Amino acid sequence: MTHIAKPVHLDDKLEEVRSSGRLEYRSKALPTWCPGCGYFAIVDGVATVLKDMGIQLKDAVVVSGIGCASRFPFFLSTYGIHSLHGRVLPVATGVKIANERLTVIAVGGDGDGFAIGGCHVPHAARRNIDITYLLFDNGIYGLTKGQVSPTSALGFKTPTSPYENMDQPLNPLLMVLSHGASWVGQAYAGHPEHLRKMIAMAAAHRGFSFLNILSPCVTFDRTNRTYSNLGMAVCDLPADHNPTDRLAAMAIAQKTDRPALGLYYHTIRPTLGDNLDALIVKAGGTPSPSCGAGR
Amino acid sequence: MSATDIQIAICGSAGDGTIAAGNILRNAVAEAGYRVISFDVYPPEIRGFGKCISRLRVTTEQVYSLKECSDVFLSLDDSHAIPHVGEVRDYGAVIFDSKPVVVNEEGAHISAHVRPGQIPYGFPFREISEIATGANRSRNIAALAVIAGLYRLPQAAFRRTIETTFGKKAKAVIAANLAAFDAGYAAGSDTFKLDDATFGSSGGKASGAGTVVILNGNAAVARGLIDAGIDTFFGYPITPATTIMERLAIEMPKRGKRLVQTEDEISAIAACVGAGYTGSRSATSTSGPGLALMMEVLGLSTIAEVPCVVVVSQRGGPSTGMPTKTEQSDLNAALYGSHGDSKRIVIAPTNVEGCYRCAGKAFEMAERYQTPVIVLLDLYLSNRYETVILAREAPFDRDCTKRWRKTDHDEVYKRFAQSKDDVSPRAIPGDAEGMHVITGLEHNELSRPNDQPEMHTEMSRKRHDKLDAALTHPDFTVSKRFGDDGRVDVGLLAWGSTFGETLEAMIKAQAEGIRCAAMKVVMLSPFPAAAVSGFMDDCRHVLVPELNYEGQFARLVQAELARPVVSLARVPGGPMRVEEILAEIRRLAGRTSVGATPATN
Amino acid sequence: MTLSQTAPRHHVIIGTGIAGSSAAEELRDRDPDSRITIITLSRLPFYHRHLLPQVFRDVDDWRTFQAYPPAHYRDRRITLRRDTRVARVDAPNRLIHLAHKETVRYDMLVVATGGRSYLPEGLVEFFPLLHSFGSFKEALATRQALPDGGRVVMLGGDMIGLNLARTLVDTGHQVTLVSGEHTFWPHQVSEEQRPLLLAALADLGIEVIDGEKRGGIAGIELGASGLPARRVVFGDGSSQHGDVVMPFFGLVSSVDFMAGAGPDIERGLLVKTNLRTTDEHIFAAGNVCQVWTDADRCYRFYYGSRNVSNMGTLAARNMTGDSEQFEASAEDEQLILDAEGRIHSPFWE
Repeated sequence: MTHIAKPVHLDDKLEEVRSSGRLEYRSKALPTWCPGCGYFAIVDGVATVLKDMGIQLKDAVVVSGIGCASRFPFFLSTYGIHSLHGRVLPVATGVKIANERLTVIAVGGDGDGFAIGGCHVPHAARRNIDITYLLFDNGIYGLTKGQVSPTSALGFKTPTSPYENMDQPLNPLLMVLSHGASWVGQAYAGHPEHLRKMIAMAAAHRGFSFLNILSPCVTFDRTNRTYSNLGMAVCDLPADHNPTDRLAAMAIAQKTDRPALGLYYHTIRPTLGDNLDALIVKAGGTPSPSCGAGR
Repeated sequence: MSATDIQIAICGSAGDGTIAAGNILRNAVAEAGYRVISFDVYPPEIRGFGKCISRLRVTTEQVYSLKECSDVFLSLDDSHAIPHVGEVRDYGAVIFDSKPVVVNEEGAHISAHVRPGQIPYGFPFREISEIATGANRSRNIAALAVIAGLYRLPQAAFRRTIETTFGKKAKAVIAANLAAFDAGYAAGSDTFKLDDATFGSSGGKASGAGTVVILNGNAAVARGLIDAGIDTFFGYPITPATTIMERLAIEMPKRGKRLVQTEDEISAIAACVGAGYTGSRSATSTSGPGLALMMEVLGLSTIAEVPCVVVVSQRGGPSTGMPTKTEQSDLNAALYGSHGDSKRIVIAPTNVEGCYRCAGKAFEMAERYQTPVIVLLDLYLSNRYETVILAREAPFDRDCTKRWRKTDHDEVYKRFAQSKDDVSPRAIPGDAEGMHVITGLEHNELSRPNDQPEMHTEMSRKRHDKLDAALTHPDFTVSKRFGDDGRVDVGLLAWGSTFGETLEAMIKAQAEGIRCAAMKVVMLSPFPAAAVSGFMDDCRHVLVPELNYEGQFARLVQAELARPVVSLARVPGGPMRVEEILAEIRRLAGRTSVGATPATN
Repeated sequence: MTLSQTAPRHHVIIGTGIAGSSAAEELRDRDPDSRITIITLSRLPFYHRHLLPQVFRDVDDWRTFQAYPPAHYRDRRITLRRDTRVARVDAPNRLIHLAHKETVRYDMLVVATGGRSYLPEGLVEFFPLLHSFGSFKEALATRQALPDGGRVVMLGGDMIGLNLARTLVDTGHQVTLVSGEHTFWPHQVSEEQRPLLLAALADLGIEVIDGEKRGGIAGIELGASGLPARRVVFGDGSSQHGDVVMPFFGLVSSVDFMAGAGPDIERGLLVKTNLRTTDEHIFAAGNVCQVWTDADRCYRFYYGSRNVSNMGTLAARNMTGDSEQFEASAEDEQLILDAEGRIHSPFWE
């Protein structure tokens, strides 16, 4: 696979967008993100995937926490919850447990998911709740104007680390792999086609799918995760990588200087909903896909 | 036959089968048709031989608390029981083992401590069990059978209860326990009764009205949630609320419903809100520390107008505080705990039947008013057992949602549309064309972020005003007056479990000739100002007993009504003492005399 | 023997009748810092047994008979150990072994267990068919067994029984007295007086049968169906039906538990005129003891509430330093038949 972008002609692009139908999935609210933000590619990717998968607007719920990424639901025309800082996964879990018919996409930044909300990630992963979690990993707190985040590079100077960031950055991929997530992948906002493909794969996975999306903050990070730096660093997963080999995936995830893009790991195991239904059967009850929801 | 009102206490160590004996006694008298309130005190240790006391009050009329004094006291372990002998009133009974296996130091046998006014009954429990069954394992059954025999309680009810209790064990175990019961009953009924505790006719089990069950507060909450159609539950274990979740974990799957134990309380309530957004009837349960963690999400539930039900069983605080002691010190947290103006509905049952009703009604209210509802219990209420009459048809409306239906082709759905009753019609995921994003940000009618001053003012008003309707919620007792009508010397204002002791004190004060009335306040938010103010108009003094240090409810009343009350705020870790309330009533009424004193010295 | 200098003296009284209660009260007055414990087999605190006939006047709450309210004991710091059986007294070590395996140490002990009903040997086998009247429980049981207007056959007829008989006649029951040597016990009645006294009983409405003339009591049987519940059969073959048959043959001292304890025992615990037993730490008072009388040069029992109460008080005093001698109240012994043929006895007051 190659990520070298071809030149795009504006008229061709507009025609492509109009005819794709994915605009229906976009709300009329214009994103509040800064021009050039990698998140534009993600919202377009999600809209496209929902459209391509034939998921109706009424049957999708996009859940977010707080942060730049968390404005995301407002830019789609599905159902959505813009919840609290760090609580995207529990809220999304509640939605999915209550109504398995819904497609639930959880979105959020690295601060939202791995700082304040860090305690929820292992449990969403191990329970294998059937949602898709898109982590917009820009290594910074953008909404509050550029403070250091759990995935910020060592030495990074920000208003709250005016001399340097002294904390070792977290490795979300490695963590989620170790938590037992059943689908783990990585994409880069600078490669929108590949990103869309990865979102589609993640959304199609039955179980907890975690897509780490590397994305530059064009406003507050002019030194580390810039398009040019990331564009130079990202690479493909080794051609012989076996995505059912979790240890191999973890080994690759540790190579943070050359982030590899693609499907790291996937396995099929019962989801939380499957397990709850099995328990209901064991207890003598009758499972229902919508647990009272939509009464 | 006069009304029955007998309190029995059983005291022993964990290894004596004390709580088991108490459970059988409780279930058997309920089976026989009496009403029961019971409360067990467990040792803090999980294992070992710590002190257990099981107290049950058996009545023919509805009562709301245990009594200060017990009428009958059974010791299964004298070393534990001796300090408690004094709780038996004069001419009540103290029943003990007259042939203990161990050799006692002087004063180590309870007979050395029976008060002069009490009637001692020594029975060789162990020997009775051994003769009847060949083993001493049924000693506790023999002992409770002695009580049954002495007071001529119906044997059949006990035999049925024993069969049920040991139903899952080997037939030989049931047979041995029945044999021990029969032998103990014979010993008791052959004994000349000298104490003055008497059981009148139970009046039989209520029929027609519904089924009589015996539940503790937590089990009643679980039952109420189930009968109101709970769909999803998310919770995290915490004393004393855990048994709500444990009961639901058994019962919900049988009904096709889902329960998830989350990683913490924040996750639990966040999942509740997520589920609530989809229209699911979702609840969580916790205690004070968990409530503290939930507060931010409660604010989300308020501003995003998503129904959710939170059952809070209070314990001693702050911080980890006294996890196995009861207290009512989370009132402020329940009323105000979050940031911003985050008014919500808070209801506090006063007895076990109330736990059932409040739990079920909480779903109705959460749904109808699109708000979080906190059901506020305390450890004492959570763990005490009472007979509850359950109607054949659950008295709960299974769907109270004001649903949005598209009427006009061009209509754009406004999640927070203006409405006469300030409750906006809801669309939920799956509804075509009802798509919207709810948010913790202040928003406009379309739920789009909007922080204009007029918008924030109007939305704040909407979120507060819509709750007033809860004060007239159908088939729900927001407050209720008891005692003397008209002008009274002392009016008692109480909430939660303390209302039981308050009512008991009021009845005693009336017997002393003090004009007295009591009002229970079940709905604490929105505050039933008119009803409480009307009550206070009739009272020369208003006394507010409650189990916290700051007088949180007294302050609430004074803040809401700007009228003075007398606060009786205590933190004993157990129920408020009736005598303490009574003393305060006497003082306010200008009485100095004291009534009958229990055998306490 | 020296007493512990640190622990308060422990006075123990076995028995909670008139003697024991008087002793406890006096001990508290004279030795304010001591521990006082009363041990009794009864479940009830001290109550007036001589008032028990009132159960036939529809008094069925034992509290009517209780001598003191509970506060009496509380205020005097008297520990009242009821439903407690003394298995054995170990006088040399000053220990009381209770049946429930507790050992109580005493400094001084008063035995005041009183007397229990005496039943002649020939009647022991009929015990299950008899109604005793020694306790509140037995009194109520008797009342329950006796129908309105029913007949009581009273055997022996001691003064306790005759006191009951008066009440029974008064409450519309029929009383048949089978008289004998125990009639009027504990009063000594001369052969001249006896017919006059029996006639006085007949005047009260009591039917009197001379048991000796009928050849003594041969047996007691259940009555045939349709007839009263009991049948007393006499040696001469005649019989008397009654709804209840009650033995009143006087009292014997309840002293079995003291056997082998140390102090000398004959029919009762033997005490000197200062009421001390042969053990220096053990006193006795009331119907349990036989008191040495210098005049008669023998040990004898003294009955009557005044005597018994005085003995309790006296024992208490002598335990706490005094050295008084017991003098019986002459009034307690007198049975008088007045000019109008009415009987007067201290047991009837």
